[in-house]
Amino acid sequence: MAQLTVHAPGLDLPNPLMLASGLQGGSVSALERVAKSRCGGLVSKSIGPSPREIYPGPVCVEAMNGVILNAMGLPNPGVDAFSKMLANNEFAKPMLVSIFGPDSESFSNIAIKMEKSGATALELNLSCPHSKPGSTALIVGQQPNLIHEYVSAVKDVVNIPVYAKLTPNTASIAIEAGAALNAGADGISLINTVSALEIDPFAGRPIIGNLLCGMSGPTIRPIAQRKIAEVALAMRRGDIPVAPILGMGGITTGLDVARFIMLGATAVQIGSALIYDDIDVFETIEKELNDFMDVQGFRDLESMRGIALDSLEGLN
Amino acid sequence: MKKHTHTKERDKHFNLNALVEACCERMEKEYQQHNRLPTPIPSPIIEITKESNGVSTIWIQVPTILATDYKPGQYFMCWNPYDSEGGMSKKNYNSEKPYSVGDIRVDRSGIDEETAPDQGLDGSTMMGFTIKNLGRQSGELIKMEKGDWFAIRGPFGTNFQTPNFGETLILVSGGIGSTPMHMAAKEARNKLGDKLTIHSIMGFQTSDDVHYHDKMGEICDSVTVTTDDGSFGLQGYPTIPLREIISNCEPSNTKLFTCGPEPMMKPVLEICEENGIESYAAMERYLPCSVAACGLCMVGDRLTCRQGPVMEGSWLLEQDDFGSPHYH
Repeated sequence: MAQLTVHAPGLDLPNPLMLASGLQGGSVSALERVAKSRCGGLVSKSIGPSPREIYPGPVCVEAMNGVILNAMGLPNPGVDAFSKMLANNEFAKPMLVSIFGPDSESFSNIAIKMEKSGATALELNLSCPHSKPGSTALIVGQQPNLIHEYVSAVKDVVNIPVYAKLTPNTASIAIEAGAALNAGADGISLINTVSALEIDPFAGRPIIGNLLCGMSGPTIRPIAQRKIAEVALAMRRGDIPVAPILGMGGITTGLDVARFIMLGATAVQIGSALIYDDIDVFETIEKELNDFMDVQGFRDLESMRGIALDSLEGLN
Repeated sequence: MKKHTHTKERDKHFNLNALVEACCERMEKEYQQHNRLPTPIPSPIIEITKESNGVSTIWIQVPTILATDYKPGQYFMCWNPYDSEGGMSKKNYNSEKPYSVGDIRVDRSGIDEETAPDQGLDGSTMMGFTIKNLGRQSGELIKMEKGDWFAIRGPFGTNFQTPNFGETLILVSGGIGSTPMHMAAKEARNKLGDKLTIHSIMGFQTSDDVHYHDKMGEICDSVTVTTDDGSFGLQGYPTIPLREIISNCEPSNTKLFTCGPEPMMKPVLEICEENGIESYAAMERYLPCSVAACGLCMVGDRLTCRQGPVMEGSWLLEQDDFGSPHYH
């Protein structure tokens, strides 16, 4: 049996398989249900300053093989309700609390409340729009200066580790990762959904209630792998500070996990796989990973981490 | 330029039947590939039947395989891509909500019955979704007209099992919970013929709400309607006739299915527990995604979208969050 434990800032995990944000993580009962599976850790739904309703449906659709489209609209109970829930419950697994807000002040206010309620680490969802007047369509994660501002604002007010979750919808992800790490982020989460659009040809309109949507599922896994490799290579070159990478994007098997670890990921997050299968998929993936590592002679994740980057060194 | 995708802008020469067939064919291809419709497939509404005040059935044509595979209690996510004015709203007037199938029929109109066997014509299969005006989307749905788009995705979820030979099946519905009870009665009768006894109890608020009792009357050995105000049938809740029916049943040979508001289902399931009768309930919860993504449909530690909507009565009675009203 290979050693699967992970030690990263704020995260001591029995295995590298975390629940990804946005999936089933909005209520105590849903999080407890996932915590009982063989997952190594949890990530909450993104929690904002006030309660938000889900968008009109369809909100999440399997649009074609390997493609999940969603626009849920960040439904969440709001920071006050969630922090109360956090303070009153012990979860069986470590949890990253994902947060978002309309501006950096809102991010830091939420972060303070979460830390007070017992959160041990935060994930900043930087794929939300920045709400400065006149710039409503600006995605924070596409603007290195805003990433720096938001991460600094949170790091200034809390002591718990902070992971910055980045959008893949940018030209050069290493620049955004560098902005987050230079602002003091303790780690990077890669990737959020890929921006997408699907039309029903008969009805002549988008198939998602919100019209625009994000794409996940096995089809985006190669995109995620490319982004992770770009960030990991920039760390190797010394272009940006070295920090743990939490990798996600279309992982459904143990071999997929091995791929992410070989590209430098410290741990992974699993989302869309829970749409195809129930939560026992964590056990299946853990076993597949274990079997693969045994047969290849990898004793632990560290001995496998980043080995596929060697062949990529020198590429830009 | 004519925008044929908008039902309001089709001219009178538009061949709606050809469009219905094309949509049905598309549905069949998707279904054969995935064993469900993973993405919403729109189809023009063929007919709308008014069932009672504020309750209507929307009929669409579906591939026969979709209807024969469907099991009572399962639900489809139903979506009106446009609201009744032909617009798109972000305020839930056109959204996607779960509905179980209310009725299935084969339309043989236009078929010459004498030559049909030779030509292999078996009619078109129609699926009916019975909708009660309960809010923004359902209120919009009952304003739909023939030819308007109605999309379905699914089927999803658990179902009512067919009872065994010689058993007694008791069906208790509250309001629009009538629909899965009707399909359960129909399936049981189709499979077991007269080798089972079916008693139906249908609860409504007033006589204005009463629907489906004629349909149930054609299938069931007895139908008892109750209304809260006594304006139709017995006055009171379904639990009153339920106790009487149960007193004439052999518990080990009886099953009960129920669907309706939780404050109605809870005492019904409790009566089953007291009397040692196996019971199952179809849960109606706020269920926006259907694919276990949002986690907003939890009952106890189960996801209604996937581990429901049909759940064991004995398990439900152990859950603290079962039995209060839930709105959607």
